[in-house]
Amino acid sequence: MNSMVIKALGVSGLLIVATLAMVLSMDIDLNDPINAMTILGAIVIATATFGVTSKYISQMKTDKAEGELTDENWDGIGEYKNELPSGWAYTFLGTLIYTVWYFLIGFPLNAYSQIGEYNEEVKAYHKKFEEVHKTSDIQTLQSMGQSIFLVQCAPCHGNTGDGLNGKAHDFSKRMSKEQVLHVINNGQNQLGYPMGEMPAGMAMGADAEAIAVYVAGGMKGEQPAAYGVCAGCHGADGQGMGGMAPSIAMYDEVLVGHVLEHGKKGVIGKMPSFKTRMTPIQEKALTVYIQSLTM
Amino acid sequence: MFHWLEKNPFFFSVGVFVVIAFAGLVEIVPSFAEAARPIVGLKPYSVLELAGKEVYKKDHCIACHSQLIRPFKAETDRYGQYSVSGEYAYDRPFLWGSKRTGPDLHRIGNYRTTDWHENHMWEPEELVAGSIMPAYKHHFTNIADIETAYAEAVTVKEVFNTPYGDEIKAGEEAWNAYKPQVLEEAKAIAVDMKHPEVHEALKKGEVPEIVALIAYLNRLK
Repeated sequence: MNSMVIKALGVSGLLIVATLAMVLSMDIDLNDPINAMTILGAIVIATATFGVTSKYISQMKTDKAEGELTDENWDGIGEYKNELPSGWAYTFLGTLIYTVWYFLIGFPLNAYSQIGEYNEEVKAYHKKFEEVHKTSDIQTLQSMGQSIFLVQCAPCHGNTGDGLNGKAHDFSKRMSKEQVLHVINNGQNQLGYPMGEMPAGMAMGADAEAIAVYVAGGMKGEQPAAYGVCAGCHGADGQGMGGMAPSIAMYDEVLVGHVLEHGKKGVIGKMPSFKTRMTPIQEKALTVYIQSLTM
Repeated sequence: MFHWLEKNPFFFSVGVFVVIAFAGLVEIVPSFAEAARPIVGLKPYSVLELAGKEVYKKDHCIACHSQLIRPFKAETDRYGQYSVSGEYAYDRPFLWGSKRTGPDLHRIGNYRTTDWHENHMWEPEELVAGSIMPAYKHHFTNIADIETAYAEAVTVKEVFNTPYGDEIKAGEEAWNAYKPQVLEEAKAIAVDMKHPEVHEALKKGEVPEIVALIAYLNRLK
């Protein structure tokens, strides 16, 4: 052991003593294992730092260069033929193997995909949504329906569903007289019901007028004789014979579903299809809410 | 060889660059090339739609409206399927936008119709309570520049090989032969519109800006 190492150890010993003195003066509880370990760590670091540094400094002072030189030299500066340091060599080899793995397997198979994350999120959400709303009561459906209505329907039908002064269909009643007459005069085949097309001109003149007044009035009071021609498909009660033809008495689930799927062009204007924009539960909720608007 | 490289720093640098750039090349270039291709079934904008796109640009709709739906659930619930880059293949320039004071418009054609746009452009607040969008009444009287739109179609056809039909070609003769098609398309849109000045202009062989703009908005799906 040369004088250098001794001096270094002396300095580290001094540091340790100073640290201990400081710690004791601060009245720190050394029985606490965390404090004890911290002190131990400080001692190890001080010793190791000065020990290692002094070893290398003394080596630089005393070591002689020796070994076999390579052929090249640059202005008299040469290079020894050294073995690769094993740590470096293994790391290099590991990097090569990792590169091949990453190139062939890692990147192609494990790459992050934003769309993949989106798909998983949506799938998980829908699963949870279906589960939560499997047995939702009417209040939950109605408030869900209202939210959907405000986002998807309100821009045309208005926040209250009144159709904004005739700019869109008014949900406070099933149909206006003008709408009924338009359908009677022009026929209707847009909604894809099993009954198929309703031809134009099923009723004329005063008959059509009487039907329009009766249907627009919510099908109350005495049924006009002319309504018989409608009853063939829409039923005497106007309910659409269980989904075979559109209900002209109320907004049932079949009607809302068909209009959302096919869209509709009527006397007021055109409503686009909302086919991909709602799940069956949301359609049901929307139906409940729309029904609540007519009551 | 390595000794040779060590003696030639220029070629050594080139070698280093090639090795490092390689990873970037194999990862970036193929997806870039793929993404730039138009999606299947995408048609270039019609001349009327191009005129509408010019109106969109001129009145700077992009200041408040984006045309890019990101793949987040909250966004696809409201606006529909997220956007993919191939959809913009014929957008020169694309109008993605980065500010949403108003809603995204990339699929507006799926859930709004001509009559709605007509009412909304005339007086937005009548339809959307509390809307801060200004009214665009001048669109009903200003005349869209369909001739320049035609020139644009000819240009992108010749310069970028955008797949327009043979009838779109340079020259006044070709334009005069093509113009009736544009007017027909405009009339088909105006059928659903109520404002009389729109129909009067169309009768004179002119296309009001609102018709071109609605054609463009209906096309965004």
